[in-house]
Amino acid sequence: MTAVAEPGAPALTGTGILPAAASLPRVPSFGEVVAAHRARGDLVVQPRMGFADPDRMRQGLLATRGARAATVGTITLDSYTRVGDHDAVARALAAGADLNGYPLVDADAAGTARMLADALAPAFPVQVRHGSADPRRIVRTLLARGLHATEGGPVSYCLPYSRLPLVTAVEHWRQTCETLAAAREHGSEPHLETFGGCMMGQLCPPALLVALSVLEGMFFRQHGLRCISFSYAQQTHAGQDEEAVAALRRLIRRYVPDARTHVVVYTYMGVYPRTPAGALGLLAESARLAVRTGASRLIVKTEAEAHRIPTIAENVAALEHAAAASRSADPGGPVEDTGIHAQAQALIEAVLTLDDDLGRALTVAFARGHLDVPYCLHPDNAGRARGYLDRDGRLQWQRIGAMPLGDLVTVPATEPMTSSGLLDALQYVQRTFDDRFDTTRRYITSTGTWESHMTTTPLDSRITAGQRPPGTRAHLTSPVTQAALRIQNSILAGSREHLSTLGFQEMMPPIIGPVTDPGVRGAKQIDVDFYGHRYKLMTSVILYKQASLLAFDKIFYVAPNVRLEPLETADTGRHLAEFTQIDVEVADASREDILDLLQGLLRHIVRHVLRESKADLTALGRDPDVFEALLRDDFERISHPDAVAHLRRLRHLQSTDAEIDWEGERLISEQTDRPFFIVGYPKGSRGFTDGESSTEPGVLRNFDLIAPDGYGELCSGGERTYEYRRLIERMRETGENPAKYKWYLDLAREGLRPSAGFGLGLERVTRYLAGLDAAWQGNAFPKLPGIVSP
Amino acid sequence: MTTQRAGAVATRPRLEVVVTGLSSDAHTWNLVYLQLLLEELGCRVTNLGGCTPDEVIVRECVDNRPDLVVIGSLNGHGVQDGTRLIAAVRACPALAATPVVIGGKLDVAGGGDGHNGDRLLVAGFDAVFEDTGGLNPFRSFVRTLAARPATAAVGAR
Repeated sequence: MTAVAEPGAPALTGTGILPAAASLPRVPSFGEVVAAHRARGDLVVQPRMGFADPDRMRQGLLATRGARAATVGTITLDSYTRVGDHDAVARALAAGADLNGYPLVDADAAGTARMLADALAPAFPVQVRHGSADPRRIVRTLLARGLHATEGGPVSYCLPYSRLPLVTAVEHWRQTCETLAAAREHGSEPHLETFGGCMMGQLCPPALLVALSVLEGMFFRQHGLRCISFSYAQQTHAGQDEEAVAALRRLIRRYVPDARTHVVVYTYMGVYPRTPAGALGLLAESARLAVRTGASRLIVKTEAEAHRIPTIAENVAALEHAAAASRSADPGGPVEDTGIHAQAQALIEAVLTLDDDLGRALTVAFARGHLDVPYCLHPDNAGRARGYLDRDGRLQWQRIGAMPLGDLVTVPATEPMTSSGLLDALQYVQRTFDDRFDTTRRYITSTGTWESHMTTTPLDSRITAGQRPPGTRAHLTSPVTQAALRIQNSILAGSREHLSTLGFQEMMPPIIGPVTDPGVRGAKQIDVDFYGHRYKLMTSVILYKQASLLAFDKIFYVAPNVRLEPLETADTGRHLAEFTQIDVEVADASREDILDLLQGLLRHIVRHVLRESKADLTALGRDPDVFEALLRDDFERISHPDAVAHLRRLRHLQSTDAEIDWEGERLISEQTDRPFFIVGYPKGSRGFTDGESSTEPGVLRNFDLIAPDGYGELCSGGERTYEYRRLIERMRETGENPAKYKWYLDLAREGLRPSAGFGLGLERVTRYLAGLDAAWQGNAFPKLPGIVSP
Repeated sequence: MTTQRAGAVATRPRLEVVVTGLSSDAHTWNLVYLQLLLEELGCRVTNLGGCTPDEVIVRECVDNRPDLVVIGSLNGHGVQDGTRLIAAVRACPALAATPVVIGGKLDVAGGGDGHNGDRLLVAGFDAVFEDTGGLNPFRSFVRTLAARPATAAVGAR
């Protein structure tokens, strides 16, 4: 328990100048208590706690007061009270149903008085937190119960959380401010905290948060408040947050010079880390942010945040953890200036020019889109602005809409926000902190912060050219194999996520059939005896993919393939006799559709792996920057003749009417920084399944995807031959016996759908993403051509 | 060979979907996400946002007759508010058969024991997606709903 939390604690004389009052308040104001703690060098920590039951609420307040930290109390109200649905509160109370906060307005006044009698003390004020766009009854009630501190704002409790027109919320908040200000005659100087530093919790760039926090504080001041705190909610990047709070403090000094003010930091208000270690790490970072920027107060979040409403004990643990982190925090140094102050000031000035009455000015500013909160669905919000996370995790503008920031912000070339992109951004902090702090994960990097206990020993995944897999036990117990297989798992999960989002149906692959893909490049097929009939193991599921489109428009298989590749491919680092393909087929699609799809899929896979397998990539020494061009630039599409000409310039003797050979693929792959497509192979280089161009006879509507840095081909595909007559012709041309393909040709005679698709080699993609020397390193039971192995 | 975009499902009618929160629930990120997800599944979305009163939801549905109503709830009041809303929706003859689903964190306890899901189904929801189950069941539901008229038209499999 801290000394100042006791009644009769040291005199709480203000550190600033308060306007003279006729009768001095008997009880120190919320702002004075915070200032006294600050004068002692303590960061005030405060929970977001609210329980429906007055006894539990009372215990929560007492536990807050008793925590080993400089604390103030919180009563968070339930959400029925927030929206003014008092009938629902009454029904819930009568039915004994749980509420998510304390129903201050409808709770029995005597019960509330008993609850507060034990907990309140001059040095332990209690703030009511509510989230209401119409807090008039709430504020009248809290004043009547002897409380004098609350929070919110005309914009911040309207746009994100309410359906009220902004103009109505402004009027409610004007009346609320006046009610609060008038109460100073009866007791303590009332306190109001802006919530504007938290708009939407996430993805609102800091300059707008700072501007709205200042504007709401100015609105409070205009309507009579003299004791005001200004919020800023921790976002995604510590350096950027420090710059934002520094800008906030400068702007408060400029725009609200004549009130008692302080800054309150909110621990991250977005999607919270799931692991206890990640949650505590993020909390500690917010405490450091507060200390380093000279904020006076911190509102904490708990370990339980991602899961449920926290208990009293969890709240106390969070308060104490934050206080401990604040005591060991380094003082802040000079902050970077990336323009947050200038942007925030431009926004504030733009509003102030609209009307002398700040409430009207704010309403007009939103109507014109001069203020525009990203991703806010409220009808009075323009909804044209967008925030995004850059590569360093800084929250930036993707679109500024009509906000007067054109001279101050460079907006990137826009990629449309997808659901998975939004989820990525929303979960960035959760992911980052869970990864960084959860020491149960295998390979954790040193972050240089005091919470991190483990350091990394990089794995050596290098093998010599032509090196064969070790024995099964040595291979499976190797940390390199394990890291590679975890990355592979992440590749599969990312693929399924992306394809599923696009409406693809995953199908289970057949393993044997009377006939399989005719094969390419000299690979042989394996026969199996099927009740006296000669069946084949799948070399590829292409014929079955075409057939599958009779059931669904868009399908994929994660399919095993067995190909007895020529012996000389054993040492290419890229060939396995048994391997897996992500096999995709789309009805009515052109090759170009499929190239777009494949580029999008590979990018999604890479993003997913960078996010989910960061520790394994780090352990394998794979630098995420090598994927920068892949994620940024479209993959080039070069024709087969151009690729051949290019190889000849490299003095590689490549035939013009054949596949690019292994060595050629490697050479051309070394010339580029991102994957590219070779399109339009000559007829004769591929099997009958590859569709022939109707406008360029002899040229196939197919492609290969080649990875950079010598990793070579990852994927082949294209438009398919599907018409019965053409299939027969192409089979004859390629030396296949149509009689073998009876089941397939029977389907084709009655009609197959035109389609295009591809097969993406899983071990090859694993090799490329993990930076492995050989594809076999990404297979648990590798079978190299000609090598007898399990 | 046609050059239709790979992402499109042109042979199926687009679903008109209303996405909304409930009256006491101010969360909206879930609704922004649901909108993007449904649009990627080929739906046309009207997003009513957070804190939507029952009568606004009912009026929107009566006026525009959506093919599907998707309710996202995260504040722990989903069971109470959802039960009340679905009674109002089903009381409206025009909406007696409109598919209405609810998902998210539906009670304050977290981790759901299944009773609440059952209560909501009995109350009149067509499906309940608790947040522990991932998104695939929801995607499948939407796809199945989208495929329904097309399948019927070709005589079903």
